[in-house]
Amino acid sequence: MSLLEVRDVSHRFGGIKAVDHADFEVAKGEIVGIIGPNGAGKTTMFNLISGAIGVEHGSISFKGEDITRLRPDQINRLGLARTFQTSRLFDGMTAFENVRLALIYGNPNRRFRYEEAEREVNQLMATMGILSDRHKPVRDLSLAGRRYLEIARALAGETEMLLLDEAMAGLTPTELKKAMAQISSLRDRGMTILMIEHVMEAIMGVCDRIIVFHFGQTIAQGRPDEIAADPLVRSVYLGDA
Amino acid sequence: MLISTVLSEEKPALVAIPVVIVAVGIAPQMVPEAIGISLITVLMYVVLTLSWTMFSGPTGYVSLATAGLFGVGVYTSAILRDRVPIELIVLLGGIAAFLVAFAIGLLTLRLKGVYFILFTFGIAALIRSSVQWWETHVSGTVGRHVTGATNETVYLLLTILFAFALIGGFLLRHSSPGLALRGIGENEDAAEHIGIDITRIKVLTFSISTALMGMTGAVMATRFRYIDPSIAFNPLISFLPVVMAILGGVSKLYGPILGAVILVVLQEFLITEHPHVYLLLFGITLVVIVIWLPGGLVELAQKWYIKLKIQWIKLRMRTTRFRREREAKKR
Repeated sequence: MSLLEVRDVSHRFGGIKAVDHADFEVAKGEIVGIIGPNGAGKTTMFNLISGAIGVEHGSISFKGEDITRLRPDQINRLGLARTFQTSRLFDGMTAFENVRLALIYGNPNRRFRYEEAEREVNQLMATMGILSDRHKPVRDLSLAGRRYLEIARALAGETEMLLLDEAMAGLTPTELKKAMAQISSLRDRGMTILMIEHVMEAIMGVCDRIIVFHFGQTIAQGRPDEIAADPLVRSVYLGDA
Repeated sequence: MLISTVLSEEKPALVAIPVVIVAVGIAPQMVPEAIGISLITVLMYVVLTLSWTMFSGPTGYVSLATAGLFGVGVYTSAILRDRVPIELIVLLGGIAAFLVAFAIGLLTLRLKGVYFILFTFGIAALIRSSVQWWETHVSGTVGRHVTGATNETVYLLLTILFAFALIGGFLLRHSSPGLALRGIGENEDAAEHIGIDITRIKVLTFSISTALMGMTGAVMATRFRYIDPSIAFNPLISFLPVVMAILGGVSKLYGPILGAVILVVLQEFLITEHPHVYLLLFGITLVVIVIWLPGGLVELAQKWYIKLKIQWIKLRMRTTRFRREREAKKR
């Protein structure tokens, strides 16, 4: 059974169809990439899945439960977390506080003792390789540090599926390789990932499947090699020579 | 989690808070009677500012509903004063303000920024107009006499409310909801996406903090002795706590206390010494505060502290170098 099912979802901004009858699913343990030109409706699709904006038409279900009308916090507590295209960290807090807050509210059925919360937060930060930054104010972190922190914060709840919105944009080649390894290792630990990415090296390197958006529609889905060879995709996105 | 956090991180505050409460409690015995009476006004604004800061400080939601909720407490007291004991009146004033704030919260806390500010101000005016209409058309009166309480009783009750506000503010700052409120203030969308039920936490914290405003109103009615809507719902009671909190700074618990004390003392001084130009001078002072002290006195004090510390370190380094050079010359 699919973990996430998006069925015939549409959303308009005034006269513009940002998402137009999008239809796809993501199986448990998969890493699925979403690509498409700017304005193709990728981030709007994430906003619809995470509950940031309401779905006008169609339905979205997660773990078999209809989440079409749920609020972002309710969706998060079901185990579906996300990061944002532009960083939305709590800049006035330390890196540790950012993750601790997500740990407390993302796990509504658990009551954390301080030491227990500290241990779990440290563990999450170590997983993302930013443990040494834990007491730094967020505004002092590097771009890569901020990206990893956002992922650590998203993982802090009872997260089963992660939506990554251009998490690798702006990273140096070395940082990119490290980030790709991190994402693969998350999947090895059972995480399902749906990621929007413009860095083709990353998307081709880590994804099991790719979904292509164009003018809000899902015009192609398949393995990275299939997508790279698809003539329609090449013409609208990759550029047909 | 809360207790261990507090114990591990805030030992100085755990000592300071009881000391401050006791000091406030015994202050009237330490000063001349005239100043002792002024302390009631100081304490009233300190409690209102602390209560206001509980919600508006971390979230940045500037509420101008304080006068409305204070007035609800005042009228609760005016209606019940001769029927039930004063302690119960204070409690009921708090409950009434809580219920009104809860309803306001459900209506307004989906609004943000300037819309929220205007709506809360409008709500305070609406409560005032409703009470005024009720008094003139139903009760058939302009104002009400309230049986007074002694200055000592009023001060004692305000000290208890101050203790609640101080301890409550401290616990909130060190609790998960306190951290969540900071998260909401930093980025509401992100807070919602990490599992925080933002509407619930905003409405509850707003309502609980305003209960203290209602209680303060209930106590102060017994000091005013005569009340009407213009006294109970005076718009200055909405504006001053905001300015006091900004002056003191909301990043530390003592900031709003500092701001309230300084502004009330300044206000009293200007009223006494320059009664004709009091509002003009007070207004200029407020403008200067907002322009020059956006982070409040707390931030200013922190900047000075850091500067002094740097100077002290430089001085020590210079002294050490000088000593070493002298010793080297001797050798």
